[in-house]
Amino acid sequence: MRNLILPLACLLAAVAAFFVFPYDLAFLTRIVIMIVFVLSIDLVLGYAGIPTLGQAAMYGSGAYAAGLFSIHVWGDPLAGLAVGALAGAAIAALSGLVVMRARGLTLIMLTIAVAAILHELANRARGLTGGADGLRGIRVDPVLGLFEFDFIGRTGYWYALAVAVAVFVLLAVIVRSPFGLSLRGIHESPARMTAIGASVYWRQITAYVIGGAVAGIAGALAAQITQLVSLEVFAFALSAEAVIMLILGGTGRLTGAVIGTTLFMTVEHIAAANDPFNWLFVIGALVLAVVFFLPAGLIALPRALTGLIVDKGGRDADRT
Amino acid sequence: MDLFLNIAVDGVAYGMILFMIAVGLSVTMGLMRVINLAHGGFALIGGALAHWLGREVGLPFWIAATLAIAGTVAIALPLERVLYRRIYGFGELQQVLATIGLTFLMIASVNLWQGSTLLAIDLPPALRAPVDLGFRTLPAHRLAVIALGLAVIAGLWLLLERTRFGIRLRAAVDNRATASAHGIDTGLIYMVTFALGAALAALGGIFGAELLPIDAYYPLRYMVLFLIVVAVGGMGSIAGSFAAALGLGVIETAARYLVPDLATLAFYGIVIALLAARPQGLMGRV
Amino acid sequence: MKIKGTLALGAAVSALAFSTAHADTIRVGVIAPFSGPFALYGTQYQQAIETYQAQHGTSVGEHEIEFVFKDVGGPNPDQARALAQELLIREKVDYLAGFTFTPNALAVAPLIEQSQTPTVIFNAATSSINRESEFFLRTSYTLWQVSEPLADWAYDQGIRTAITTVADYGPGIDAENAFRAAFEEKGGEVMDSIRMPLSTTDFTPFLQSVRDAAPDAVFAFLPGGPPTFTYTKTYNENGLRDAGIRFLGTAETEESNLQALGDQAIGLTTAYHYSEAHDTDANREFLAALREDHPDAVANWAMVGAYDGVHLIYHMVEAAGSDGPAAVESALGLEWESPRGPLTMDPETRTVVQNVYIREVERNAETGMLENAEKGMIATVGDLGWDR
Repeated sequence: MRNLILPLACLLAAVAAFFVFPYDLAFLTRIVIMIVFVLSIDLVLGYAGIPTLGQAAMYGSGAYAAGLFSIHVWGDPLAGLAVGALAGAAIAALSGLVVMRARGLTLIMLTIAVAAILHELANRARGLTGGADGLRGIRVDPVLGLFEFDFIGRTGYWYALAVAVAVFVLLAVIVRSPFGLSLRGIHESPARMTAIGASVYWRQITAYVIGGAVAGIAGALAAQITQLVSLEVFAFALSAEAVIMLILGGTGRLTGAVIGTTLFMTVEHIAAANDPFNWLFVIGALVLAVVFFLPAGLIALPRALTGLIVDKGGRDADRT
Repeated sequence: MDLFLNIAVDGVAYGMILFMIAVGLSVTMGLMRVINLAHGGFALIGGALAHWLGREVGLPFWIAATLAIAGTVAIALPLERVLYRRIYGFGELQQVLATIGLTFLMIASVNLWQGSTLLAIDLPPALRAPVDLGFRTLPAHRLAVIALGLAVIAGLWLLLERTRFGIRLRAAVDNRATASAHGIDTGLIYMVTFALGAALAALGGIFGAELLPIDAYYPLRYMVLFLIVVAVGGMGSIAGSFAAALGLGVIETAARYLVPDLATLAFYGIVIALLAARPQGLMGRV
Repeated sequence: MKIKGTLALGAAVSALAFSTAHADTIRVGVIAPFSGPFALYGTQYQQAIETYQAQHGTSVGEHEIEFVFKDVGGPNPDQARALAQELLIREKVDYLAGFTFTPNALAVAPLIEQSQTPTVIFNAATSSINRESEFFLRTSYTLWQVSEPLADWAYDQGIRTAITTVADYGPGIDAENAFRAAFEEKGGEVMDSIRMPLSTTDFTPFLQSVRDAAPDAVFAFLPGGPPTFTYTKTYNENGLRDAGIRFLGTAETEESNLQALGDQAIGLTTAYHYSEAHDTDANREFLAALREDHPDAVANWAMVGAYDGVHLIYHMVEAAGSDGPAAVESALGLEWESPRGPLTMDPETRTVVQNVYIREVERNAETGMLENAEKGMIATVGDLGWDR
C-alpha cells in the first residue's frame, strides 16, 4: 500500500497542474512525454542494469514510424502509438542481439553507434523523412474519434498523461513479475543468475525490447503533439539528457524517473527563462549537488532526511 | 598508387590527432577506472587558455601552449582534491553524472569568459607552411602532431613500464588497499596521474585544434569521438588507444576518399563490427 | 477539426486581442537560441532589436511595442512549438519572430495559420517554409538566392570547371543543386559533386581529391562554426589556393567567425546579401547605433536579418495594429532602404528581394580587421528557389 502513495501523489499533482497552470499545457505535455521516455530508460538501465546512452535510437524510430504512418496510412493517434511501439521494439530487438553481447563501456558505445547510424540514415533518406528540414504534414485524428487536438493543448495534455499512466502501470506490473525480479537478480549478480540456469542474454534482450517499445511510444507521442519530426530525435544529447534526469531522480524506481524528469525540466525551463546564457551553471550545480549529497537520487530525499533525524536520535541514545 | 599514399598519409595524420585528444582519457578512464566525461572539459580549458594567452595577451605560440597546459593542471589539481577524490569511489552511474555536471560547469564558465564563438589558436609560421612530400604537400603541423604523438606514446610507455612511479601506479590501481598497506601513498599517485591526464587533455586540445577547433561546447561536441577511441582500443590500454586511433583514422580517411557521402555510416558500421567482435577492445584487459 | 480549433482559439484570442488593443501594447514573441552552441544568434537578434528601438523608439502610431524572448536552444521543433503556444496563449503576443532553424519554423506553421499571427523569419533559409503558411514573412534570404548568382558570376569571370563540396544535409544539397543548375545552364562543367558528412572533422581527403582533379574553382557550402574553420584552413594548407583553384562560397566568411579564421581567409570569394563593410550611409548609421550600446558587437547577416525584421514589424503594427491578415497584406510589396541595400517584400514568395554582392575577404588597412570587401553586385534577386 505504501508503494502506491508516491505514484498517486504524482498523478494528483499532474491533474492539479492542468488547473493551476492552464497556460503552460504545452510545456507540461513535453514533461509528460519525456517522463515516458525516461521510464523506458529506467527499465533498461535501472532494472536490467544495461548501461545505455543510445535510447534515442528507439525514440526516434517510434517518432518517424508514427509520423509516416499518420501521413501515408491512417491518422488515428492510438494506432500511431502502436506503430511507434512496434518500431521501437523492432530496432531494440535487432540492435539488442549485437549490443547485449558486450558489457560496460563497450555496450554504451554500441548503443551510441546504433543511434548515430539511424541519425545518418534518416538524414540521407530525405525523400522519405524530409532530412534536416524535418518530416512535415503529420495530421492526427481525434482521440478515440471523440477528442480533437486543440490549439491550447488540453486534449494533448490529457492524452499524453493517460498514455504515461498506462505505461507506468504496465511497467510496474512487469518489474514485480517473476521476469522483473529475475532482471533485478541479473543486475545484482549476473554470475548467480547464470548459475541457477537463467539466460542472462535473452532476459536482457527482452527487457531492452520492452524498453524500446516504451521509448517508441514516447517518440510517437512527441511526433503527434508537435506534428513534425526532426533529425534531433536521434541525437546523443537527447539520450544523455534523459539518463541524467533518471539518475537525478533515482534509478531502479519508477517514481524516480517521474521526479527526476519533472525537476530537471522545470529547473531548466525557469533558469533558461531567467538567464539563458548562464543556465548551464544552475544545471551543473544541481547535478553535482544531487550526486554528492543524494547518491541514490532525489527519490531518496525523504529517507535521507529521516535518516538524519534517526541518526541523531541514535547518537543521543548512545550518550544517555 | 597516389590514392593509396594519400590515404596512408592523411589517415595517419588524422589518426594521430585522434590519439592526441583521446590519450588523456585513456589515462584517467583506462588506468584510474574513473568514467571521466569531463576529459573534453580539460581539453577545452587548455585550448581556451592558449587562445587567450596567444591572441589577447600576445604571447608566442610555444609559450602560450606551455602556460596553458600548466594552467590546466593548476585547475585540475584542486578539482582532484575536492571532487575527484570522492568520485573514484562512486558507482559507474554516479561517476557519469558527477563528471557530466562538472563538464556543464566548465562549459558555462568558458562561455561566460570567452563567449560561444570559435577560439582560434594561431600557429607559428613554421607549423603553417606546407611540406613537400614528393608526390604532394602536407601542412607542417600534421607532421609535428605525428612526431608529438610518437613522443607521447614513448614517454608514457617509459613512465608506466620503466619507472617506480609506473609500478606503484599499477599496484595502486589493481588493489588500492594492498598498495597502501605496502606504504605506497596512493592518494599522491592518483593525484599525479590525474594531473597527467589533464595535461594530456590540454595538449591534445591545443594541438588537435587544427581539426577540432575549440569553442565552449567542445566537450559535448566531441565526447563520443573520444569515447569511441578508448572503447575500441580497450579500457586500460594506452597501446590499444594508439592502435585504435590510427586504425580508425586510416579507415575513415579511406572512406572519405572512396565513398565520401557514406563515410559516417562506414565509420560507425566499422566501430560496431569491431566492438561486437572484440568487446574488450583491441588490447583491453579481460 | 480546423474550424472548431480556430473558433476555440478565436474565443481565447479575441478576449486578449481586445484587452491588448485597449492597453495599446503590441507584443512580439521572439523564438531563438539564447543558450547552447547557437546562442550567438539569440544575442544578435536581441542586439538588433535593441538597436532598432534605440533609433526609432518603442512605439509606433498609438501602439507601444514590446518584445518577449524565448530560448529554444537549437534545432528543436518540439520546444519551438511549445514556446509558440506559450507565447500566443499566455504572453498574448500578436506577432512572432526569430527562427534560426528550418524545422523550428515549420513546427509553428499550423499554429500561426490557426491564430493568424504574422511571423517574421529572421534567418531560416529553406525556400519551402513560406509555402506552409501565408503568415510567414522572411527578411533573411534563401539558399537559391545567393548560390545561383554566384554560379553566373563565376562563369562570367572565365571559370569553366568547378567541383561542388557541400555538407550532406538539406541546405547543403539545396546549395549544390542551385549552383550546379545555374553553372551548367551557362555552359560550365561541374566535374564532381562531393557531399561531405555533417560530422566531418578532417576535410583533407575531400580537398585533396579536388586538388588532384584541378578544376578552376571549388564551391563550398558548410554549416557555420567548426566545419567552416577547418575547411578553409585545409583549403589553404593543402595548397588549393596556390594551385589556383578559386574558393567560391556563401555564408562561410560571415562576420561572427571571420576574425577567428585569420589570414587564411584572405582572398576567399563569396556571394552574399550583407557585409559589415557595405559602404552606404544606412549601414554606417546602423553600425554606429549598434556600437553605441554594444561596443563589441559584430554585425552580420543574422543581425541585419533581425534588424530588417523589426522594421517590417513596426510597419505592420503601424498599418494594421494587431489585425494579422491586414498586417501581412500591408507588408506585401513594401520597399525600404536597409543597411544591406534596397529591399522589397515580394508579394508572392514573402521573402525579401535584394541585391546579392560578390565579396572578397581583405584585411582593412585602417582597422587591421578582416572584412568582406564588395567587388560586384547582382541587383534585385528574388527567391529563386520558390518554384523548384
